[in-house]
Amino acid sequence: MEKVGAVMVVGAGIGGSQTSLDLADSGYKVYLIESSTSIGGVMAQLDKTFPTNDCAMCIVSPKLVETGRHQNIDLSINCVIEDVSGEAGNFIVKVRKKSLFINPDKCTGCGVCGRECPIEAIDIFNEKLAKYGATSVKYPQAVPLLYAINREVCIGCGICYGVCKAKAVEYDREDEVVDINVGAVVLSPGFDEFIPEEANLYGYGKYKNVVTSIEFERILSASGPYSGRVLRPSDGDIPEKVAFLQCIGSRDYSGVGKPYCSSVCCMYTAKEAVIAHEHMHQIKPTIFSMDVRAYGKDFDKYIIRAQKQYGVQYIRSRVSSIKEVPETKDLRLKYETQDGKIIEEDFHMVVLAVGLNPPDDAKYLAEKFGVELNQYDFAKTDLLNPVQTTKPGIFACGAFSSPKDIPDTVTQASAAAGCVNQLLYEKKGTLITEKSLPPEIFVRGQPPRIGVFICHCGINIGGFLDVPEVTRYAKTLPNVVMSDRNLYTCSADTQTIIKEKVQEYNLNRVIVASCTPRTHEPLFQETIREAGLNRYLFQMANIRDQCSWVHMNDWEAATNKAKDLVRMAVNKARQIEPIERIKLSVTPKALVVGGGISGMVAALNFASQEYETYLVEKEKELGGFAKHIYHTLEGADIQVYVKELIDKIKANKNIHVFTEAQMENIDGYIGNFKSSVIHGEKKERTEFSHGVVVVATGAKEYQPKEFLFGQNENVILQSEFERLLNETDQIKNKKSIVMIQCVGSRNDEHPYCSKMCCAEAIKNALLAKELNPDLEVTILFRDIRTYGFKEQYYRKAREAGVIFIQYDENNPPKINSDLKVEVLTPRNDKIYISTDWLVLSAGIYSDREENEELAKMLKIPLNDDSFFLEAHVKLRPVDFATEGVFIAGIAHCPKTIEDSISQANAAVSRACTILSKDEIEAEGKTARIDITRCIGCGMCIENCAYNAIELVDDRRFGTVASINQVLCKGCGACSGNCRCSAIDILGFTGEQIFEMITGRI
Amino acid sequence: MTVQTEESKSSNEDWKPKIIAFLCNWCSYAGADLAGVSRIQYPPSIRIVRVPCSGRVNPYFIIKSLTDGWDGVLISGCHPGDCHYLTGNLVARRRFAILNELLQFFGIEPGRVNFMWASAAEGERFAMLVRKATSIVKKLGPNNKFEKKW
Amino acid sequence: MGIDTENQEIENNIKKISLNLFKENKVDLIIGYKKGTLPLMAQPIIIDKEEDVDKLVWNNLCYVNLAKYLVPRIPKFVDAEKGNLRVGVVSKGCVGRALIHLASEKQLNLEEIKIIGFSCNGVINRQRIEQEIGQKEIREVFVKDDKIHVKGKDFELSFPYEEYLNELCKVCKVKSPPITAELSDVCVGECQEYSSISDDFNDVSDFELKTAEEKWEYVKNSLDICTRCYACREACPMCYCNLCFVDQNKPVWFGKTTDTSDIMVFHLIRAMHMAGRCVGCGACSSVCPVGIDLYLINRKLEEIVKRRYEFTSGLDPKILPPMMSYEMEESEEFMLEED
Repeated sequence: MEKVGAVMVVGAGIGGSQTSLDLADSGYKVYLIESSTSIGGVMAQLDKTFPTNDCAMCIVSPKLVETGRHQNIDLSINCVIEDVSGEAGNFIVKVRKKSLFINPDKCTGCGVCGRECPIEAIDIFNEKLAKYGATSVKYPQAVPLLYAINREVCIGCGICYGVCKAKAVEYDREDEVVDINVGAVVLSPGFDEFIPEEANLYGYGKYKNVVTSIEFERILSASGPYSGRVLRPSDGDIPEKVAFLQCIGSRDYSGVGKPYCSSVCCMYTAKEAVIAHEHMHQIKPTIFSMDVRAYGKDFDKYIIRAQKQYGVQYIRSRVSSIKEVPETKDLRLKYETQDGKIIEEDFHMVVLAVGLNPPDDAKYLAEKFGVELNQYDFAKTDLLNPVQTTKPGIFACGAFSSPKDIPDTVTQASAAAGCVNQLLYEKKGTLITEKSLPPEIFVRGQPPRIGVFICHCGINIGGFLDVPEVTRYAKTLPNVVMSDRNLYTCSADTQTIIKEKVQEYNLNRVIVASCTPRTHEPLFQETIREAGLNRYLFQMANIRDQCSWVHMNDWEAATNKAKDLVRMAVNKARQIEPIERIKLSVTPKALVVGGGISGMVAALNFASQEYETYLVEKEKELGGFAKHIYHTLEGADIQVYVKELIDKIKANKNIHVFTEAQMENIDGYIGNFKSSVIHGEKKERTEFSHGVVVVATGAKEYQPKEFLFGQNENVILQSEFERLLNETDQIKNKKSIVMIQCVGSRNDEHPYCSKMCCAEAIKNALLAKELNPDLEVTILFRDIRTYGFKEQYYRKAREAGVIFIQYDENNPPKINSDLKVEVLTPRNDKIYISTDWLVLSAGIYSDREENEELAKMLKIPLNDDSFFLEAHVKLRPVDFATEGVFIAGIAHCPKTIEDSISQANAAVSRACTILSKDEIEAEGKTARIDITRCIGCGMCIENCAYNAIELVDDRRFGTVASINQVLCKGCGACSGNCRCSAIDILGFTGEQIFEMITGRI
Repeated sequence: MTVQTEESKSSNEDWKPKIIAFLCNWCSYAGADLAGVSRIQYPPSIRIVRVPCSGRVNPYFIIKSLTDGWDGVLISGCHPGDCHYLTGNLVARRRFAILNELLQFFGIEPGRVNFMWASAAEGERFAMLVRKATSIVKKLGPNNKFEKKW
Repeated sequence: MGIDTENQEIENNIKKISLNLFKENKVDLIIGYKKGTLPLMAQPIIIDKEEDVDKLVWNNLCYVNLAKYLVPRIPKFVDAEKGNLRVGVVSKGCVGRALIHLASEKQLNLEEIKIIGFSCNGVINRQRIEQEIGQKEIREVFVKDDKIHVKGKDFELSFPYEEYLNELCKVCKVKSPPITAELSDVCVGECQEYSSISDDFNDVSDFELKTAEEKWEYVKNSLDICTRCYACREACPMCYCNLCFVDQNKPVWFGKTTDTSDIMVFHLIRAMHMAGRCVGCGACSSVCPVGIDLYLINRKLEEIVKRRYEFTSGLDPKILPPMMSYEMEESEEFMLEED
């Protein structure tokens, strides 16, 4: 059967959206199928995200808007999958598009029907806490912005039909059933949260002030039921004492909940506690948890901040019962402290950190698509490729395969796209249409006609300054022909409004006064481009992040400041001119730095799509650190896997492998890199061109200075222990083994979790027990972080008799020369254990010097711990701010082999959005030189970090500077020193800044 | 030009200086955003002008701001080593060091023009330094040295 | 040895070297000073043949920084066929520095230049002499026996030479043009190697003791009379922009009036543009028609770059000027920090 260059993505949460965008940008036609009536999934319901406390809606909204309007994405909502046939490369999927009873082509999302509907129905989005009409969209920023009639509660009164000016209401509108032909399918239906049954021991459903974490998230949200104020449901009071209970429905073997760890609850609870305190300082959060599983990048730092900065209290205990105090509706919690005391304490409100369940329709989807589920009813995936389901051509990403957080979901989403690329690459570009943009309206030389759009951002702006007044004021400014305010200027409906206003008022400059241009400028630029304006005829005034949010208690000053900011933006806007972006050709080749698993997977994926690939490894052999690993906790054979990868790479003619190699230089820019590598024993030098770079340089194992390591030969690292278990039978004659966790991790110097050590320790403990059942194995730990399905192995280890003893960071175990370990237990007992081997779970460290060198070459940043710092921790986990450069594996942060493989495939997918194009557009905001002013002193050349300037001889003006527009990054270091004002920076010209300065009055 | 007179300067405890702040896009502007996202409150004195890099800030911007009656000028870039453009802030630092000395040589009060570093992760520091700059400028009173006589 | 004898020796040397340069065909032109038509000022002269060498003079009235004629090269220095002509420049220390600094700014190719060096014994503070004389007409000025003699229609006055020197000459540490190993072919005559120049800058530190208000008043009072004729700019060898910032439009950054504000800004920005570039020749002050002495500003500029970046302009074309270079570790004592 012939392959088809189209892909179906089922489920349009953040994962599905990312997969769709990657594939659509790489030249595939994407059918994005969503069962509910809008896209965005759970992330759109969140208030903030950890560990950056970014406003979830703010960062996801532009992505959803982009998904909703992408030329190559065909989005269908309210859909059901009816039937699937075919095989990898060519599936036919029968989809029922259920009727919304409102014609989506006609509905403008104006909302009149919703306001007029007399029937109250439960609104899904606000989690039962607020009510809306039967005709409702899910939330005000919904993509697509369409109303739907809930026929289950609709009484057929006909009012909405009467009020709809667009004649969009069609009560008799029928379902539509279509057959969609695609080459691959990505399943990303997300998850459902665990809902505790009524009258269970936590009183959820019985006591009003016991809410789930998702309900609490809505309470925190500015668009939530109390407009962002934290109030308790029973009486609307501010709950000063809030208890957060972890592991509700997770790590639960009672049969009520699920046995696995839901992976994300520890972090989202910490976040909810921090945000609650931030919203209302009276609130003192207390978190009851078993282990604090802050295993991700910079997560531990967040927990520390929550405790130190926000006064969040952690109690290591599982609450045994909750009773409501009838008079006050407070809740009486009974729990046992670590030193064995039973305590009863009253709280004003209780938040249940509910776990993640597989989606309700998991079984249905699995059956339709013919994929298997695992014992927990999540999608069963390949042990080493977590996006590969049991059926070829069908991939899974996000929480459908296991509970996971947003960055892991986004990474997997791109990874799934990467795997689709591998399958369908030859059909790329066969089914897509070019985005047709209207020709640009010629505006040069015409008097500015400025339109100003001012955003309420829910209450984020409107709640702290006088938006109507700022709007009125904007209208009075010279050249402003219209000003308007919006509840959310970034929402899909406002994009339409902006486009309409551009036409109606003949606007040639557009200003949005809202949040920060760092996140939202591209969205609005795209909008005005679609309206026919050059995308640079746009300005933003940051009246939220830099005004309303920082002057929350000074209405007048905030309003005045907002006016100033708007005026300054208007002043600048008067001076802005269209900028032409230059187009660059793309060299369809890839460079992968690092020949460990991540690098090899990436290289193979590139090569299998017939992109010539250069793989650079510093060691003599490929394989990286994985050479020291025998199995994963789940049982995948790493030695075999690595060998297969190496063989495949050696056999692939598209891959050039350089070993004992070091990058000498990486020059150039996205699509057009030119690099040189020194390689081999003889230190040969090879030069090559490429279009993208994947950084997969890995990390190293900490060589401890503590616990007599290096002094006593029986003190060994976990990796050496693994070797001894797998290569020798020395374990047979051992009586006792003690492992110490967190050696070199989670301390002041390295304040992060190395993520793998808990799983490694349990894996080796289980194997040791298996080889020598009489062996006594003791694991000294701070928190056991067997997140997700790894939890089952933790339990298995306990069942196998492995002893787990918790120690405190400030009282680490002590060891004497006879290998007698002294440890202080949480109950303050001193325990002594003699051990034959002391096994240290040493942390994962970045190679600072090596990373710094590469970072400099590629102009990419490192974080405090010298791991590479991605462009955005939530939504761009494999990208760098420097375009065309991507990250994979533990050079990014400690992670498992499976996750490294996912990230490698994800990096390839991201890279393919560039490599698949013949040409890409460069940034327009670069330096321009006025050669009539230039005197060729060469100062700019010395000050340019990108070697973008050289002196040339001009026939008329003699020796003058000349700027390479492509190398130029537009920083302006050249311009800031130029005495002649010969260099200007487009987008930040002297004239524009002059106008902003002088616009004071 | 609405520059307050000496008289009102001494009598007006509530006088709020207006400070123009040139922030680099990648660190300091992001830091200012972070201060917002973290809801860290600081005086409503500053008006931020986004520039790609502190290296973009020409001395003209600063001097023009003073002659145009801004009470203070704040310039903030990435910490040395953090520059998104690698060395733009180092180029800027020399320029500012010299400009700062010349400004003071000409009799502009120290603290009228302030230079600082703040990273994208330093919302707290950003707010704190804005508070500090504001209080310095407030102590100096209105900037009227460059007030034109005609 | 009296100043007059010194001058004679210098002049003889200049003539001798110049003659040799022509004889050995090492230069096409020589630019130097000749006796001025005005009594208190020597004039530049361009000669292109041996017999004109005798016109060259040195007499402490040679204020002009001759490097100015090479940026841009005046048309006389360019031949339609040969291109840039080889030019010998009669160079006191500051002229040599200017030429070398201009080379580091890629404004001239030192291979086409001969620095005809000598150890300068200073130029007279013309402004001060004129102030002393007042409205009376000066007919002749000459230096003899460490005295400056000024003759008029019905008067003859003399001033102590050391005291009536140009202020910058009094503190000058680079009397002969600098020479480096690479410049051995360029510098002829009396040139000197300067490894590091030590200068206590006492004059500057005295000024720094003033309060901001006092400084403002002082600078304001000394600049207030500026008519913005830009003679300083025209005399300065470092002012070679095609379009000076004061003449730029789009935007017009600063006012062009003689309001104090505009005057202060003009001199402030001009100083900024001179940072790490001023060679301390004092030509700007010598040509000022209203007698403004920019001496202190020029000294401050030298002091800043010396203290902060160990830099003295015009000593070595290989060393990048401070505004063209940077280090990761540099003093940032001026930056705002948390308490």
